Amino acid sequence: MSIAASARPEKGDIITAEHVSKVFGSGTQALRALVDVTFSVREGQFVTIVGPSGCGKSTLLLILAGLVPASSGRVLVDGQPVSGPSPEKISVMFQDAWLLPWKTAIENVEFPLTLRKVPAAVRRPRAMSLLDLVGLARSADRYPGELSGGMKQRVAIARCLVQEPRVLLMDEPFAALDEQNRTRMGNELLRIWERTGRTVVFVTHGLTEAIYLADRVFVMGVRPGRIIESFSVELPRPRSIDMIGSESFGRLRNRIWHLIGEERG
Amino acid sequence: MRVRRLTVRLAILLLVLAVWESAYRAGLLSPIIFAAPSLILSAAVKDGWTFLSAFRVTMFEIAMAILIAWSVGIAFGVVAGVWPILARICAPILSALIAVPLVVLYPVLLAWLGLGPTSKIVFGTISGIFPIALNTLVGVQSIDRGYAVMAAAMGASRRQIMFQVMAPLALPAIVSGLRLGTALIVIGVVLSEMLASTDGIGFWISYHRGIFNTGQVYLGILLALVAAGIANAALSLIERAYSHRTGDDANP
Repeated sequence: MSIAASARPEKGDIITAEHVSKVFGSGTQALRALVDVTFSVREGQFVTIVGPSGCGKSTLLLILAGLVPASSGRVLVDGQPVSGPSPEKISVMFQDAWLLPWKTAIENVEFPLTLRKVPAAVRRPRAMSLLDLVGLARSADRYPGELSGGMKQRVAIARCLVQEPRVLLMDEPFAALDEQNRTRMGNELLRIWERTGRTVVFVTHGLTEAIYLADRVFVMGVRPGRIIESFSVELPRPRSIDMIGSESFGRLRNRIWHLIGEERG
Repeated sequence: MRVRRLTVRLAILLLVLAVWESAYRAGLLSPIIFAAPSLILSAAVKDGWTFLSAFRVTMFEIAMAILIAWSVGIAFGVVAGVWPILARICAPILSALIAVPLVVLYPVLLAWLGLGPTSKIVFGTISGIFPIALNTLVGVQSIDRGYAVMAAAMGASRRQIMFQVMAPLALPAIVSGLRLGTALIVIGVVLSEMLASTDGIGFWISYHRGIFNTGQVYLGILLALVAAGIANAALSLIERAYSHRTGDDANP
């Protein structure tokens, strides 16, 4: 449960964040978005980061992805310092799928490979098998305008996986969906995670979602943004909806709830 | 159905021409002000080849001006659009340039480039390029930054983000800029030919107007309309190719 422990990467750690801080602006206007964030994630783990809005959890994810530079500290992925986007190791998914409207579902899944000039004969079957994995094989030729919110996020998951990354970073990917769909997509994601065995870092503000999905939950506090606790979730896999009602689930949920509540003051 | 509609249109056209011609024959129309269809026809018989080769010159100038104005205008608009500082500087300058009567520059261009096609191509280009660049800039600017972040996360280069993500997303805005710009290019080319040149439809309209050959003037006007129609048709082709690719609505 210690978080501020050793910052040195250990064997089996795929992500290591060492004293990561982020300051926006300067002088008296400076906003300390993240302060001394240190943690590590083991390969193949499903980690969730939960915290109130404004705690810098999205910023942390962008730093892990190499899309935003840290003000100080560093992030190692697979032993290498992150200095920019590295799509061969890290895929990122956002709350909005950002599908290109003039491309069909399968063309959107292929897009990262198109950017890398992978020939169509190679990328088409790969994209198709991933669309099949997310349950959208029959919608391959439909345009984003013809897909529901949940379907768009499935396409986005397939588009992440087509890059065969070691790590999947997800920034509240299901936040725009209704609760039914959010739970469904969560289960779907767990199924895909169990089949592909990739490391997932999943940012959310939903406590239930954070616990239900995770092996480990990092709880973040606000002003300044930092990690205040981490918990291991000891629920068996595969997870099922009934576990949400269990006593140990409720206890953990309450503890995190109070932690965040104290933060808010 | 289609054939029938076509015959109806043709019949209306013939009727108008017949009324027009008889009004002229009855002495109701002065031949200096209003050429009759027969006068245009005889002008075509007499000076047909001259006008045809003039038409080729004009079309060549328009095509070159379109080529330059479209490619430079779109490229500039995309680059300026993704670069916030450049956008803030360029947008007001571009809107100001659209309002300037650029024709005052034509004498200068003539002095630099001579009476030949080059001065027409350059004048046509600057007539049309600003609305194209401005519309592209505004279109790219209005795209949600999420698309660019997403593409960057996939490892897209700056150029790929600009031309494989932002430019296609801004296409509806770009096309409306092209509509405006292309019309201005056609106007610019014909106008500059009329002002000072040695060939082209505009030149021959101007020339025959000076010696009261109303038939030739009208023939020239007709050919200028055809030139504008061809430029417009090329644009519609592009527009249609795009709408085929989008499925139904373009919401992300």
